[in-house]
Amino acid sequence: MALRVSSLFNQSNNFTRFRLTRFFADSGKNIKDSDQVSTDAVLPKKLTVALVPEEVHIAQKTRQETLAVVRENEDVGTCSGVPEEHIKTRTVRIYCPAKNAMQSGTNNINYWQIDFDTRERWENPLIGWTSTGDPLSNLQVGFVSKEEAIAHCNKMGWKYYIQKPNVNNPKPRSYGINFSWNKRTRVSTK
Amino acid sequence: MAKYLGIDRICNFWRTIKASGGILNSLRLTFRVDELRDGTLVGVDKYGNKYYENNEYIFSRNRWVIYSEKVNLDYDGSQVPAEWYGWLHYKTDLIPTKDPSRPKHKWIADHKPNLSGTNEAYIPYTTTKPKIIPWKPPQ
Amino acid sequence: MLRLPVIKLTAGLQNGRISVARLHTTSSKLQQELVEVFIDDKPVQVPPGTTVLQAAAKVGVEIPRFCYHERLAVAGNCRMCLVEIEKQIKPVAACAMPVMKGWRVKTNSDLTRKAREGVMEFLLVNHPLDCPICDQGGECDLQDQSMAFGSDRSRFVDINYTGKRAVEDKDIGPLIKTIMTRCIHCTRCIRFASEVAGIDDLGTTGRGNDMQVGTYVEKMFLSELSGNIIDLCPVGALTSKPYAFVARPWETRRTDSIDVLDAVGSNIVISHRTNEVLRILPRVNEEINEEWLSDKARFSCDGLKRQRLITPMIKINGNLEAVEWEDALVATARAIQNIAPNKCAGIAGKLVDAEALVALKDLVNRLGGEILATEQSFPKEGAGIDLRSNYLLNNTIAAVEEADVVLLIGTNPRYEAPLVNTRLRKGYIHGEQTIGLIGPNVDLTYDYEHLGQSADIVTQLRNGTHPFSNTLKSAKKPLIILGVDQLMRKDGAKILSETQLLAQTLGENTKAPEEWKVLNILHTRASQVAALDVGYSSTIEEVKEQQPKVLFLLGADDANIKREDFPNTCIIYIGSHGDEGASIADVILPGAAYTEKVATYVNTEGRSQQTCAAITPPGMARPDWKIIRALSEICGVRLPYDNLAEVRSRLEEIAPHLVRYGAVESANYFAQALELSKQVPGSLSSDPLEVKQETLDQFFMTDAISRASQTMAKCVQAVIKQRESNL
Repeated sequence: MALRVSSLFNQSNNFTRFRLTRFFADSGKNIKDSDQVSTDAVLPKKLTVALVPEEVHIAQKTRQETLAVVRENEDVGTCSGVPEEHIKTRTVRIYCPAKNAMQSGTNNINYWQIDFDTRERWENPLIGWTSTGDPLSNLQVGFVSKEEAIAHCNKMGWKYYIQKPNVNNPKPRSYGINFSWNKRTRVSTK
Repeated sequence: MAKYLGIDRICNFWRTIKASGGILNSLRLTFRVDELRDGTLVGVDKYGNKYYENNEYIFSRNRWVIYSEKVNLDYDGSQVPAEWYGWLHYKTDLIPTKDPSRPKHKWIADHKPNLSGTNEAYIPYTTTKPKIIPWKPPQ
Repeated sequence: MLRLPVIKLTAGLQNGRISVARLHTTSSKLQQELVEVFIDDKPVQVPPGTTVLQAAAKVGVEIPRFCYHERLAVAGNCRMCLVEIEKQIKPVAACAMPVMKGWRVKTNSDLTRKAREGVMEFLLVNHPLDCPICDQGGECDLQDQSMAFGSDRSRFVDINYTGKRAVEDKDIGPLIKTIMTRCIHCTRCIRFASEVAGIDDLGTTGRGNDMQVGTYVEKMFLSELSGNIIDLCPVGALTSKPYAFVARPWETRRTDSIDVLDAVGSNIVISHRTNEVLRILPRVNEEINEEWLSDKARFSCDGLKRQRLITPMIKINGNLEAVEWEDALVATARAIQNIAPNKCAGIAGKLVDAEALVALKDLVNRLGGEILATEQSFPKEGAGIDLRSNYLLNNTIAAVEEADVVLLIGTNPRYEAPLVNTRLRKGYIHGEQTIGLIGPNVDLTYDYEHLGQSADIVTQLRNGTHPFSNTLKSAKKPLIILGVDQLMRKDGAKILSETQLLAQTLGENTKAPEEWKVLNILHTRASQVAALDVGYSSTIEEVKEQQPKVLFLLGADDANIKREDFPNTCIIYIGSHGDEGASIADVILPGAAYTEKVATYVNTEGRSQQTCAAITPPGMARPDWKIIRALSEICGVRLPYDNLAEVRSRLEEIAPHLVRYGAVESANYFAQALELSKQVPGSLSSDPLEVKQETLDQFFMTDAISRASQTMAKCVQAVIKQRESNL
């Protein structure tokens, strides 16, 4: 504390030092060493405290004690603009989109997606089109990994459940077994 | 001379009142249609609308209709039936009885005025097949 | 979402791939002999015998193909998978060629690209310009691969003289629309029909340009899995007749769900648009349905639009009239209030979810009733429903193909659970299974030994007096599948007990591994296992005996009860379709079908799965458990849950496995169940074992939704007509 006080008031230290040395010099102690006296060694604590104005002292203390707290779980949902009803009551399904059964390509299914529970859809009396009151009905966000999707749901405040991804586990195929002479794998249609 | 002094206007006024059937009638007519004009009665249609003409008035104000007493103050332009519409809007100068080219078929429907705001107003309804066919309980 | 592939590529293909095609290594011995191959300079270790295409898939490189399908035999006739291998003269068909050590495969070199462009050019020369009217547009392999791998111009100039080939359409049934001009002769449908479906009717006629795929004689494709060839066909040659010209794939929304029209619980994808279900496609699940789906599950979706209950109804002056929810609930509450304890009962139907079952049980219990029945009665003697091993397909569906001897007792898996039958057939073909059947002589699409039709053959097998018992005893992995319909007989408990004894004998004598469970029960109703798990132990006879004042029919349309059986009862029907149950009811409370609610269903293995709501219930219908909860509030016995999460926590309280979706809890206590079953009195009756569905026309219309479907009706008529013709 004493050190800091002295360093902060360096500019005025020369002036104070002179004054202090004069003070000590007047007390009759170590008159010869008065020039070599450094403020840290000699100044008693009580004096240093008294030198600093009260307000500055309090300000420094509070600055050290109150640290800014950053929460680990950010709650983006409340300030994201999504109405509270659509955060508290909606459930999110985290899944890997299923491969289209009609095609055999798998390039577009290796990511995770978020989907919301279905809300009411009704026939609009004006023309007969389908209306819905659900603003999140078309929201399907994609993520690279399951953890990212979960982190996002936690951030937004949605309840979620994770659907097990369907892992494709193909058996080894061999062309030769089509022509086996003693096994039932002999193909009757070539 | 009478023109310069404006006396002919007063004479016109009195003539109009007389043609409208007296002061009381003129007041009734003014209350109903907000103006008083005198003209020759050209014809009456089957609803009671009376059609008048006076070619001394400027073109576009020389033919008019006084709607039938049945509708009172609820008169509406759409109450003019098709045969008189042409005459009233200067499409033709011949009134329906004098015009040989007017169609006369037995299937021509009765004229209906604009039904908006009434009970028989057209409200659009769906003509598509319903998506869900409900179960009909056994009787 | 479109930006994702960039992220995936930068993250590295091996990390980004979620569904990496993992190869099924059969033994640890092979692991040491892995062969190293280089695919596009990426090294990969694969067991010997793997094809180049599978090795490339392991790395993440997908080689284009038309005829290759991982669950069918290798044909190698489309030539689209040709890849260049260093130091090989010709490009090699990756789907058929097994890898050799040290091969360097180049899947993107000039030669490979030229080969692909050439193949594509030839395919497109004779392919009609049908894309605007073809149903497969938007999900067509030919379209996608020609964009990705084909050349941009064609050298076909002969359109006005020789022209493109045209082929006649074939009629193979009311489900499959064939436009054979579009066929590229990949022979996937032929291989499927021959291997998976077991019907050898499809084949090729003619050679070269005149080759035609078809049945040669006009014959209906009589398989319960016929809809799968629609999925398999890479072009629009085989399309779905009910779905013809209905929608394009990019305008539909896809929702993952579970099929409940049989007890297998196949995973499906519901394609829907503007609140109507357009079609149902299978989803890959290696453990249950692989990639297949039965016809009933696929094509019954038009039954969701007919015969629906959309308003609550009350019987006023002998006729059911539509009323508001308030009135219906108040009328029900009036009927329910002040009834004596044990004068309240419930019958659960085929398509009911676990949440509704639990809610009804709670309600009936709170009203003092104890009798909750399922339409398919389960025997009470012995372990009853207390031990799960007594009523589950204990060994899981995927393990069925690993058995080496299978004994089917009183079941026709072909129509009761077609996807279990495909596993049996897979085991029969690839695993050299021997299958024996006790029951009527049905056509199971594979050869089996018909052991007879009487129930005491089970005892004979146990004693060793039957010739088949030697085969059973020498089996390393024996499997017994007992059809649950047999347990509805009077001697059902005895049959179960005898089967358990036989399973015990087999389990002791053979050297089956620890986790191998010999005894399995095959269910036919999606809600049965959940009902037994929750505690629906009574039978319909008990309900009839009790003559309750209030009877809840929860989707119960096959209960075979008549109004005369319950003259003084108020029958309340909660369900989605107006069928038998609704016609005898006094109060109808409309519920939701399986595509319209988030619900839990347990399949015959005991695996709990949940459906997702794709559309919303029509009219004034509501999800079933919510109706029961509302009713309970008005009756004064309020149930303690208000939302789905709370219902599920109640489910978890009763049986934790009900909310552990996707996982199978292995059932235990076989020994204890056996001990209890030994005390079952009575003897086996001499009635022959009968199955309910013996022929294909009995397969299609078995529950409320499929009975309401016009497509299913057409199928039944077509099958009967085909049977009467002499082809």
